[in-house]
Amino acid sequence: MSEISAVGRIQGRLTRDRRRTLVAFGFAVIVFAVGAFLHHGFASWGSVNAIVEVASFVGFVAAGQTLVILVGGIDLSVPWVLNAAAILLVTTSLGRDGRAAQAVLLTLALGLATGLLNGVGIAYFAVPAVVMTLGMNGIMEGLSLGLSKGLTCSSCASYAPPAVQDVVRTDVAGVPADLLLWLGITIMITFLLSATTFGRRIYAIGNNETTSFLAGISVRVVTVALYMLSGLFAALAGIVLVGYGGQATLGMGDPYLFQSIAACVIGGISILGGRGHYLGTVAGSITLVALVSVLLAENMPDWGRSVVYGVSILFILLLYGRERRQL
Amino acid sequence: MSVQGATVRAPVAQKQRRLRHGFAQNVPLILALTILVALTALYVGLFHGQLHRYPGVFEWTSIVNTAVPTVLVAVGQSIVVVTRGIDLSLGGIIDVSNSLAAVHMHPGLGSMAEWTVVVLLFGMLCGAVNGVLVAYARLQPILVTLATLAILQGLAIKILPEPGGAIPSGYSNALANTGGPWSVLYVLAIAGLWLALRRTATGVRIFAIGNDEYGARAHGIPVKRVKTIAYTLAGMLAAASGLFLAATTTAGDPAAGDVYILTSIAAVVLGGVSFLGGRGSALGSIAGALTLTILTNVLFFAGIDPLYQSFFQGLFLLVAVLLGSALGHVLRRRA
Repeated sequence: MSEISAVGRIQGRLTRDRRRTLVAFGFAVIVFAVGAFLHHGFASWGSVNAIVEVASFVGFVAAGQTLVILVGGIDLSVPWVLNAAAILLVTTSLGRDGRAAQAVLLTLALGLATGLLNGVGIAYFAVPAVVMTLGMNGIMEGLSLGLSKGLTCSSCASYAPPAVQDVVRTDVAGVPADLLLWLGITIMITFLLSATTFGRRIYAIGNNETTSFLAGISVRVVTVALYMLSGLFAALAGIVLVGYGGQATLGMGDPYLFQSIAACVIGGISILGGRGHYLGTVAGSITLVALVSVLLAENMPDWGRSVVYGVSILFILLLYGRERRQL
Repeated sequence: MSVQGATVRAPVAQKQRRLRHGFAQNVPLILALTILVALTALYVGLFHGQLHRYPGVFEWTSIVNTAVPTVLVAVGQSIVVVTRGIDLSLGGIIDVSNSLAAVHMHPGLGSMAEWTVVVLLFGMLCGAVNGVLVAYARLQPILVTLATLAILQGLAIKILPEPGGAIPSGYSNALANTGGPWSVLYVLAIAGLWLALRRTATGVRIFAIGNDEYGARAHGIPVKRVKTIAYTLAGMLAAASGLFLAATTTAGDPAAGDVYILTSIAAVVLGGVSFLGGRGSALGSIAGALTLTILTNVLFFAGIDPLYQSFFQGLFLLVAVLLGSALGHVLRRRA
């Protein structure tokens, strides 16, 4: 009797979202296991550390992507918001620690501002999210290229301030500081989604916008807030990437559109909204980067990696991305 | 007397009402055509202001030849968007088609015909795979086509590792006649094909699915098959776009199609095709594709730094969308 009730209790706690999060972590473990089988030392502390650190960049961008996808939206403007943020950081700080704080704040403000425009266009002017964020991506690309003269301006070659580089690169108790930042953000978003009314509202809107509106949720305000967060996280990723690599480059944001959406998909976030959790996305980011690392270690050429990317996304979609049968 | 008066007046009033209704229904299309005409006038004006002559055969040929690949892929994207889907992999199909043509096509009618057919069939196959995954496996179009896009981009690099290869000059001459803007005939042909499709059972079903998939199914429309056909048509048009692109550039580029992912969506948006499905006309998307091509020329003659090009394209896109929805609001409130 008590055994049955224990099983029932576990099943009750294992909601579909939680199950998917666990499955996503399972994928990560499998990829690491396969990697370790193929290459001795793939699952060593140093190697895992390095992979998770690269995954954190995807994870930052995917945090914003998760939030907007949860309300049934999508943010295609991340590549050039990220890139513009990276360029803005180096050109305003000029690599000096004295200007680092202002530059970081200004860059984060840029992310919030683009997110605000995206959100207002989508929530108040009913522009489809795909169109609004696509247009915004073009606007940010043009502004980044034009204002930096194709990244040839005199201040464009500046490095990120040493303070910013240190924050990203220094090890704290054997763990890169960047990972602690990711951990902090993960805890914050988990708290936001699971323990606040704001989080409940996000899921409510994602499941049914109309009923959420009728229930008294200010759908527009929440939507705008989420797109602002997405812009903020894209800008944060830009700052962290510049801190990690030292300099800004053109096109550095491009891979993050596909990767951020893929991380959400692997993590079990439903593109229709209302289903999934950021913890799944975290697992998705790690799985994705670990997969790339295995393929790189196998000397898989560029084209093969791209094909494997696509095939694995399709595989995961077929596994749990299917819509309910109608009729 | 009054009865008689009413019967005389009624047809006129009805006709007027129908005209007004038709106008209100086609606001996006009319807006798209207006924008195209206005932008073309602006282009001619700027051209004349700079060079003190009107654009001639060379200019129009170049504009039309640049526009045709966008027109083709935009019509394909429209068909998918009308079913309430989206196809990001069309760019990947262009990549592969373009690379296949550049690597394998040799001078000689046999080889050219053979590879044209092979590439078109390949495009249809890719589209069919997308369609099956969307319709039968019940997956989300944006995610399916994002995944197939990655696969196709990989295949394109495998076929043609870097830009190069060659297209037989006979093929270029036949497809993209450089002696005059005759490619405009392709634009007219594709517009005619769209109007024909719109009047077939499949065309009506595509719109029915976009408007209300559940209702369409209840009426006995084979939703899955029609959706697969829509994606297959889109894939074929993307392959045709890749072939035409190869013919005009006389070489291949495994990444040539990537920009068409965005431009095809932008053309559809400018053309007033609704992303909620079931509403709009590919004629609008054709106008949108032409508009985007002319916009590039307008920016050039307006002396705008090419680096700012995507800024103005993005801004133009958003302004056009906002204008369209604002105009729709005003007209619907009046009607």
